[in-house]
Amino acid sequence: MTKKLLQGNEAICLGAIKAGMKFFAGYPITPASEIMHFLSRQKDIGFVHAEDEIAAINMVIGASLGGAKSMTATSGPGFSLKQEGIGLAHMMEVPVVVVDCQRVGPSTGMPTLGSQGDILQSAHGSHGDIFPIVFYPNSVEECYKYTIEAFNAAEDSQSPVILLTDTSTSHIYETADTEEIDKAAKIRQRTLEPFGKGTRHFTGLAHEKDAPKTRDSENYKRWIKRTKEKQTRAANNYSFYEYMGQKDSDTLLVAYGITSRVISPLRDRFAIFRPIRLFPILDELKIIAKDFKNIVVIEQNEGQYLHEVEVLLKRKIQGISVQGGEVKLSGIEEQLKVLGLE
Amino acid sequence: MTEKYFKQELFPTIWCAGCGIGLAVKETAKAFKELGLDNNQISIVSGIGCSGRAAGYFNMDTIHGCHGRAIPVAEGLKRANPKLNVIVFSGDGDIVGIGGNHLIHSPRRDTDITVICINNQTYGLTGGQLAPTSAEGAVTMTSPFGSKYHPVNIQGLILANKRFFYARTTVFHIDHMRKCIKEAMQFKGFSFVEIITNCVETYGKRQGYNNAYEMLMDYKKNFKMASGKDRLEDNEIGIVRKE
Repeated sequence: MTKKLLQGNEAICLGAIKAGMKFFAGYPITPASEIMHFLSRQKDIGFVHAEDEIAAINMVIGASLGGAKSMTATSGPGFSLKQEGIGLAHMMEVPVVVVDCQRVGPSTGMPTLGSQGDILQSAHGSHGDIFPIVFYPNSVEECYKYTIEAFNAAEDSQSPVILLTDTSTSHIYETADTEEIDKAAKIRQRTLEPFGKGTRHFTGLAHEKDAPKTRDSENYKRWIKRTKEKQTRAANNYSFYEYMGQKDSDTLLVAYGITSRVISPLRDRFAIFRPIRLFPILDELKIIAKDFKNIVVIEQNEGQYLHEVEVLLKRKIQGISVQGGEVKLSGIEEQLKVLGLE
Repeated sequence: MTEKYFKQELFPTIWCAGCGIGLAVKETAKAFKELGLDNNQISIVSGIGCSGRAAGYFNMDTIHGCHGRAIPVAEGLKRANPKLNVIVFSGDGDIVGIGGNHLIHSPRRDTDITVICINNQTYGLTGGQLAPTSAEGAVTMTSPFGSKYHPVNIQGLILANKRFFYARTTVFHIDHMRKCIKEAMQFKGFSFVEIITNCVETYGKRQGYNNAYEMLMDYKKNFKMASGKDRLEDNEIGIVRKE
């Protein structure tokens, strides 16, 4: 056992290197910049400080097709700019990893304060229907572990995988035992042949057999069915979550990322479900939720994941939204009182 | 002799009768042939627009990405796979308009790719709107009273770099076009070939041309061959480079 003191963003870099990443392109943005800083110093990784966020996502798509496992990292404003590229990678079925270290938005918002405002954007940010796999670690050790899994899931699904963090999870320094994680880690090899071997045509247009099919509705229906099934099948290999606390309580708290750590003392009184794979939303939550009278989603936004959970459970649930970049246990406890649950 | 470079089963192409893009595609393939390149040594990356559809007709691994983003996709591809000859084949709206930022920065990084920019001075696929390359006074769907603006200086953007390769040619001067493409591909670093192309349907007819022939004859009449110059005049075709 060797514990190292690491920052969340550094752990993401080390996880990416462990997963076999060979190319990174990015653009500076708080609170994601440390990822660029760290990777710019790595000699055996292709690194480009791109002219903008859009260039960065498109470079990693090109590099992935060229044969390199690739990643980009950003925060909310940049994540918005990358959405078209994420849709392209989804349509062309190119594995890439996109890290979004969330800060308070919309727009430039509060750049140095953390938030969880990009939850819906991570799943539905692109135009058209896409079905991305989204992970959200809540510690430095998990940043390492789930970056590796994000690369694995990208290979498994041949699609862009989103790794969410927040300012706190990205910037916190903690000890992490990466060697212990390495023992259990499986690194998925590439299946996509690098360019220069075939006659494939990767296009953002609807297509079939390497040729555009822009007016064939039946082909599109087949494509979206196949894609949805492919994403679900791949995601099922990565059903990560944590279920803890007083399981005989009548209230289940749902929280993720830094918020899940802030509420962890409440496990003495409540049951807590923490999704690590946020999307596709975990079926396991449906089974667990059956046993509870009250379900409360606690998150740093106006109820983005609450909405998704309600759709999953097909019942009315409650939410506590923590706004303004500050997340305190005392404030959440007060809100629970307001809901009549304390 | 260039058949092997094409997916001929996809012909006829989407391009209008009289369009110049096909001429540029053909000369590009002939340049591959004359350079002795096998299909597996080349990749074409396109953006969106009429010219953007070119990638799909080439019989090799190709990419047809987002509007304006062919250059960064090509840069990532080249950096991950340096042995490939990576060619961007796309239009002026794509490369100079929406993708203009990448045209400033990829040459600055001297990425070893070749950009073939089909400059037809308009957004053809969307019906003929004003492009950054449209002539002053050009009547288009979004400049019905004539453009008030001077066209963008592509040559100036490329020549602003420490090292550069810039060629201007037209689809009338096919041997010169092929020579420009070949020399660009042999240049180590970022190389740019601007091919002045006729779009008779959505641009030419609104400027008073009746057919593609008249446009090509104007290229013949108006453009003079220049060599050994530091900078091309607006009515000159040729190559300027700095190692």
